[in-house]
Amino acid sequence: MSVITDILQLLLTANLWQVALVSAVLLLLPALGGVISERSGVVNIAMEGMMLTGAFFAVWADLIWHSPWIAVLVAMVAGGLMALIHAVVSIRFRADQIVSGIAINIFAAGLTVFLVRAIYGLQDVGHVVPAEALPNWDVPVLSAIPFIGQVVFQQNVVVYIALILLVVVEIVLFRTRLGLRIRAVGEHPQAADTAGLNVYLIRYGAVITSGLLSGLAGAFLAIGVSNTFVPNMTDGRGYIALAAMIFGKWTPRGAFVACIIFGLGEAIYANNSTIHVSQYLLSMLPYLITLVVLAGLVGRSTPPAADGIPYAAGSE
Amino acid sequence: MGRSQLRFLALVGAVLMVVAACGSTSSGPAAKQVKVGLVTDVGGLNDKSFNHLAYVGLQKAIADFHVKGDVTESKTGDDYVPNLTSYASKNYDLVIGVGFLMQEAVGKVSGSFPNVHFAIIDGAGTDASGKDLQHSNVESLFFKEQDAGAMVGVIAGMLEKDKKAPGNTNVISAVGGVSIPPVNHYIAGYKWAATMEDPGIKVLVGYSNDFTDPAKCKSIAQSQIGAKSEILFQVAGGCGLGVLQAAGSAKVYSIGVDADQKDADASVIASALKKVDQATYTAIKNVVNNQFKSGALTFSISNDGAGYSLDNIQLPADIQAELDRVQAAIKAGSMTPPADIPA
Repeated sequence: MSVITDILQLLLTANLWQVALVSAVLLLLPALGGVISERSGVVNIAMEGMMLTGAFFAVWADLIWHSPWIAVLVAMVAGGLMALIHAVVSIRFRADQIVSGIAINIFAAGLTVFLVRAIYGLQDVGHVVPAEALPNWDVPVLSAIPFIGQVVFQQNVVVYIALILLVVVEIVLFRTRLGLRIRAVGEHPQAADTAGLNVYLIRYGAVITSGLLSGLAGAFLAIGVSNTFVPNMTDGRGYIALAAMIFGKWTPRGAFVACIIFGLGEAIYANNSTIHVSQYLLSMLPYLITLVVLAGLVGRSTPPAADGIPYAAGSE
Repeated sequence: MGRSQLRFLALVGAVLMVVAACGSTSSGPAAKQVKVGLVTDVGGLNDKSFNHLAYVGLQKAIADFHVKGDVTESKTGDDYVPNLTSYASKNYDLVIGVGFLMQEAVGKVSGSFPNVHFAIIDGAGTDASGKDLQHSNVESLFFKEQDAGAMVGVIAGMLEKDKKAPGNTNVISAVGGVSIPPVNHYIAGYKWAATMEDPGIKVLVGYSNDFTDPAKCKSIAQSQIGAKSEILFQVAGGCGLGVLQAAGSAKVYSIGVDADQKDADASVIASALKKVDQATYTAIKNVVNNQFKSGALTFSISNDGAGYSLDNIQLPADIQAELDRVQAAIKAGSMTPPADIPA
């Protein structure tokens, strides 16, 4: 049983939670994007590709302009443009949104490798020096709180931005007129249209926002955590974010809880050099927890009624 | 749009990329020109590791022997068989599969094309259970990674013994990609040599189950640094770049793998080298000279197929002397680093 005591002891260390929060934020940003997009009625499984594109352009821009903030901006624009493709295909041309999403993920994987080859040849992409990476920042006073201070207030700036965005998205979606409109368009676009809402405009806005958030996540991964670009470095995070969104019943706070669970699982797994149990067993942990929680606590998860259904004005 | 159409699109993309990558194929005498097809594993040509080095070896062979060389990058594990078959069915003289992950595919395709020569880096042509089929048209290019691992292990062990490490905690570590033989050989040599130099040393070993995501390897490295490790050996390809970076921000030492990773981070004190370029070049040379031999061809420190580079550090004279002594002993056969990680 020493494995269980090992893990329990680990759970009492602030280091573990600090790492877990970073892993969670890498999932939270695309998950928030997914929530916004799907609440407006557009299924979005392309966060993986948008994040990967963001990661590449963040490194590219940072190596040219030596500023992480310009790089973040470029990454968000790149993610937003990928999302715009998804929006045009699925809103304007009313194509199957799953297929469009898959196509974007494949396209992003190919595009980034192609760009690496075209710009850097077969050389290493290059490394962002720490001074030009997204900085860590200890929040004055608060970072001195024992335990919580280290976990929450000694983090990368993007972690703070993500936590603020979490609150903002939750409030906008459920406490403002704009949020009501987004949800109306996702639940019953005909009724929303009749009431005078511009269904297309709202859906475009929501999908592009998901691209901006995924691009930000890619930038954080590339120039906040890894400081370089490696082909396919997003490693399925966009898909896990998708699972977190469903797990969280299409709400920001629910997705956040899911992201924390996944992040915690990853952080525990990262200790496989000191926990003496098969690393394969350990790597199953986050998914095992997910299955148990999903089956036992979350229960039925229902998507917005018009999620995935293209809207054509005047149709039934 | 169906699955087959998606596959077609992916294929078109792959073809475009190959065309882009192979602009420099040189032309020799058209009559008897040897044709070589290289198929990478999922790591791709930019892995800064064995796929990249195999490509470097191919380029050198193209320059020296005027062979025709083509490259296909595999996007997923499902591409190995079709990619190998594509070259074999066009009667290429030598088809090279890069990486242990392609063993089964090479075993299968080499059985279907008995008149085509195959070479595989880090593996053999096997059946589904991993048993070597011993096809007479397959040459296996193996490496004694444990030789290279042992050299960097000597450096780590001596630094700890001499109290020249950043914090003298007497703890070092390794981050492996996946627990497969080529990775574990490195770690085996590393642990063996470090323990030989400094019997009290503690060697942590972790795995990322990944070769492409630096963030994963970074968390593992951070957990090892939290457990007092101060020299971290990465054996995880692109993922392992995160190890070098974590070591850099924590002001401890790191060790690179496969190629010289001096420039990846200031924390890199040495790299364990595996000369895949030389192996690829040799395999092509053998075909050009009609000296192709089936079975294993092993590259080790003895034939300069494995080794080490010293990077961002000035080593004290006694450590350099010890490195030379161990290298000579391994070459002479009086020391044999183990292939399995010692307990």
